[in-house]
Amino acid sequence: MQLKRARCRLIAASCALLGATAARGQDASSAAADSPSGDWNIDSAIAYYHESGRIKAIEPIVNISKDYGDGNTFGAQLVFDSLSGSTPNGALPSTRPQTFASPSGKSLSAAPTTYTTSSGQLVSQSAPIYAINPGQLPMDPNYHDQRIAASGTWGHAFTRLLHGTAGGKLSYERDFFSMSANAGLARDFNEKNTTLSFQVNNEFDSLSPIGGAPVAASDYALFAKGGGKTKDGVGVMLGLTQVMTRRWLTEFNLSVDRFKGYLNDPYKIISVIDGGGNTTGYLYERRPDTRMRKSAYWENRAAWGRVSANVSMRYMVDDWHVHSDTVQLHVRWRNFDRDRYLEPTLRWYRQSAADFYTPWLDSTAGNHIGYASADQRLQAFHAVTYGLKYGVKLDDSEDQSSSQFSVRLEYYRQTPDNPRAGPGSLQGLDLYPGLEAVLLQVGWRF
Amino acid sequence: MKINLRNMVLLAGGAALLGGCSTLGVKPWQRDVLARADMQLNAEPLDAAIDDHMYFSKEASSGGRGFAGGGCGCN
Repeated sequence: MQLKRARCRLIAASCALLGATAARGQDASSAAADSPSGDWNIDSAIAYYHESGRIKAIEPIVNISKDYGDGNTFGAQLVFDSLSGSTPNGALPSTRPQTFASPSGKSLSAAPTTYTTSSGQLVSQSAPIYAINPGQLPMDPNYHDQRIAASGTWGHAFTRLLHGTAGGKLSYERDFFSMSANAGLARDFNEKNTTLSFQVNNEFDSLSPIGGAPVAASDYALFAKGGGKTKDGVGVMLGLTQVMTRRWLTEFNLSVDRFKGYLNDPYKIISVIDGGGNTTGYLYERRPDTRMRKSAYWENRAAWGRVSANVSMRYMVDDWHVHSDTVQLHVRWRNFDRDRYLEPTLRWYRQSAADFYTPWLDSTAGNHIGYASADQRLQAFHAVTYGLKYGVKLDDSEDQSSSQFSVRLEYYRQTPDNPRAGPGSLQGLDLYPGLEAVLLQVGWRF
Repeated sequence: MKINLRNMVLLAGGAALLGGCSTLGVKPWQRDVLARADMQLNAEPLDAAIDDHMYFSKEASSGGRGFAGGGCGCN
C-alpha cells in the first residue's frame, strides 16, 4: 500500500512538472512545516485567465515542499505564463482612425520592408503597424509573452523558538529578467501563541524592451529609443502573529519597500489633444525613477465546526500618492463527512490616482512635460472580485498536506472613478472602458 | 543604540504589545482547531500566488502578506 502510494506520488509529480513550465516565488515554508516529516508535498494547479476583449493567459504552477523533521524545511515553486491578445497602449479613442506601430516597429509607415537574405532571396516583410477604428480604445493586438519563474525557500530552526528562512527567486521573460533574495527571522513567545517576524528582500530587474526603451516623454513619431534599463528594490517587513483564542488566529504585517531605476512602462504612450478633442500626436510616458510603498496588512482566521472564515484588510500608500484599500473575505463550508468544501470569495479594492496620472496631455503645453502617464493602472478606480471554489479531499488526512482536487472560478471587474470628461469631439466616446476578467483554476495536491 | 524619545516610545509600545499578547492564546492541548488545514496562514499558496500575479498586473498596489515586488515585467 505504501509502495503504491509512493508510486502514485512520483507519477503525479512527474505529470505536474511536465505540465508546469514556469514558476513564481512563494514562501512554501509554512506548507512544508505542516507536511508529514520526510514526505514531499506537491501542490499543482493550472489557471486560465481571460480579459474581455483583451489578454488571455495560461499559467501552470507547481509547488513542492518537504519537512526534514530535524528543524529544516524546503519549499520551491515553478511557474510558467503564456499570454497573448490585445493590450491598451495608453492612447485615447478618437473620432478619426489612428495608426500605431508595434513595439518592434521603426516607423508609422504601412509600406512593407524589403531586404535580401544571405542566400540572395528577396524578402518582403509587412510593417508592424496596427490601425484603430474611430471610437475604439487603442490596443496593440499582437501582444504575446511567456514567462518562466522559479523560487525556493529554506527554513531552519535555530532553537525551539527561533526560526530563520532564506530564499531566492528568478524570473525570465523575453524583455524582462528579475532576481531576488530574501531572508527572515521569526521568534515565538508566550507558549508559541505570539510570533514576531522580520524579513528583508532585495530585487534586481533588467529590462530589455522590444524595439528598445523609449526616451521618456519623447515624441512617439520619432521612435527615439535606447538600450536596456535596470531597476532595483529593497523591502522590509515586520510581522506579528497572535493566537487569540482556540478558534481565532490573527496576523498583522507592516512593510516598506523602495524601488529605483527605470520605472516607466516602455510600451505606454499618452495622447496629445487640442481644445477640439482632436489627437495631434503622442508622447511616451515619464514616471519618477523612485517609488516608496508602505503597507499595513491585517488577516484574521476563525473556525466554527464545519465553517471557517478568512478576512484580510490592506492599506497601502506610496510617494506617487496612490492610496489603496483592500478587503477580502473567504468563507469555507465543509460537508458532514468533511471531505468536500465550498468556498465563496469576495474582494473589494479601491485606489486613488497617481499624482502624475493624466488620460491625455494638452497640446498647448508642448512637449515639455513633467512626469506623466496615461496607464489605466495608475488611475482612480475600484474593483470587485467574486469567486467560488470547490474542493474534494482524496485521502483521510486532516493536515495541510492532505491530497485534494479543487476547481476555482473568479470574476473580476474594474470600474474607473471620477473620470475626466474629454473636450470637444471626445465627448460621447468611451474613454474609460474599465476591465472585466474571468479566472478558472484547477488544482491537484498530492 | 541611541536612546531618544522616539526609541523609548517604540520600546514601550513593543513591550506593551507583547505584554498584552501574553494574556491571549491557548495551551498546547487546545490547538486542535488551530491545526486544521484551513486555519493555516498560507493554507492555499497556489491560489495566493495566482491572485497576487493577477492583481499585481492590473492594479497599482501589491504585497501586504508578502513582499510587493513582482518579479514580473507586467507592471
